[in-house]
Amino acid sequence: MNPIQETLEDLRHVSGVKGCMVVTHDGLVVADSLGPRYRQDIVAGLSSYLAMTTNRALAEGGLGKFDSFVLHAAHGKSVFHDIGEAVLVVLMDQFADLEQGRHELQSAAQRLRRSARLG
Amino acid sequence: MNLIQRLKIWKELRRLEARVREEPSPSTFVDLGQVFLNLDMQERALQAAEDGLLLFPDSAELKKLRTVARRGVDRARTDELRARIEKNPSNRLYGELVAILAESGDAGSLHATCEEWSVRFPHDAGPFLWLGQSCLQSFYRSLASRDGIEAVAALERAIGLEPKQVRARVLLAELFYRVGATQRARTLLDAVPSEGDDSELQNLRRQVAAARSLGSDVEELLRSAEENGLLPNAPPTAAVASRGDDGIAAIRDSLAAIAEMEGVEKAAYIRGTRALVKGDIKDGKDPFLRTVRVVAKAGHRYSRRLDVGSFKRGVIQGPFGVLCICCYGEVLAAVQCSADAPTDRILAELQEVVASSLYAMGVSQ
Repeated sequence: MNPIQETLEDLRHVSGVKGCMVVTHDGLVVADSLGPRYRQDIVAGLSSYLAMTTNRALAEGGLGKFDSFVLHAAHGKSVFHDIGEAVLVVLMDQFADLEQGRHELQSAAQRLRRSARLG
Repeated sequence: MNLIQRLKIWKELRRLEARVREEPSPSTFVDLGQVFLNLDMQERALQAAEDGLLLFPDSAELKKLRTVARRGVDRARTDELRARIEKNPSNRLYGELVAILAESGDAGSLHATCEEWSVRFPHDAGPFLWLGQSCLQSFYRSLASRDGIEAVAALERAIGLEPKQVRARVLLAELFYRVGATQRARTLLDAVPSEGDDSELQNLRRQVAAARSLGSDVEELLRSAEENGLLPNAPPTAAVASRGDDGIAAIRDSLAAIAEMEGVEKAAYIRGTRALVKGDIKDGKDPFLRTVRVVAKAGHRYSRRLDVGSFKRGVIQGPFGVLCICCYGEVLAAVQCSADAPTDRILAELQEVVASSLYAMGVSQ
């Protein structure tokens, strides 16, 4: 198993995490650990759309790019971490305690950033 | 730390104290506070931060120093109280300890302490009242039904142990009213003597009397609030203030209060094509407005297509600080703030603005 896939598998064990994925800004899947509930192509497409649109809107407002984006919806939470050429997407249930999982998420993003640089 | 090191630090301290008097600047106050922190003199560090903030009220470094020092002071005080409780436990000591934990926002320790308190003093309503308040705070912030159910259980237990407990009754009545269990709120308020009502309680009584009941199954109503991301009834004060002028005056005031919060740079309320702005925004053409509109719209699309319900809140971090967005339908409130700003509190306030404005617009009807 490559280090990126390994990091995603570890992340799946964090409480409240339903799935995670590394996707490039243009929607190509680098690696994923999603489980049966989600379709890889849909999550990749939507995540890349949200990340690209957000970054474009921030850039047009003179704010640069985001480092992380936490989205709360009625039935779930999604966390996006910028890892350079790609984005780490973590899908969580609506009861997930973000504070509790913050450390794991940040260290996973850090590891992926490093892997992406080495790769 | 040996004696020589200690002497060196004292010498440095005297030099910094003189520098603060001669050339006051945020960094001289921060340097002085840092030395106090190194010497484990948290109160003196807090004093240095507060003195500095009197002269430089917008300094982010001094605010950070104040936060760190206050945390240290609280930690020292809680350690002292825990030691006293160990030797000679009493309701008063537990009350003091829990009050500090509540103020510092340490919900985990607060819950554990309340549990310990209730085991040692099983007939006291205090731990359940504090527990109820803490769960209520989490519920109003996140609208998670689990927190609401826990708050109801704790407050009912407090009332069961002390039937004349007015605070628990009022908090519970307000929660029942806000989720739509108006009849149950009325019953609770009827048992509270009306002499000595403050304005908040008067407003609550008035609004509970006027509100339509949506049912009496509180758990069901809490779940529905979580699902909709919205409470059907606005808080007592906000609703009264929002009468007249289509509620815009109240929204403007709330937005101004948010813009005054620590670290907040820009605040905006957007409904359709109209926007109210506060803070460091010149006019409606500020790019911040377009940015939050676009991000909220993308968030809506993403959530709907991923089948996770509607987009409620977003927190975006980057080199610019933090963007907090809270929305419901076409109404959204957003803030740009510094990285060390209290984002949880800001989000709760934004949610309150959105909910109050929807109430004023009559959406809840």
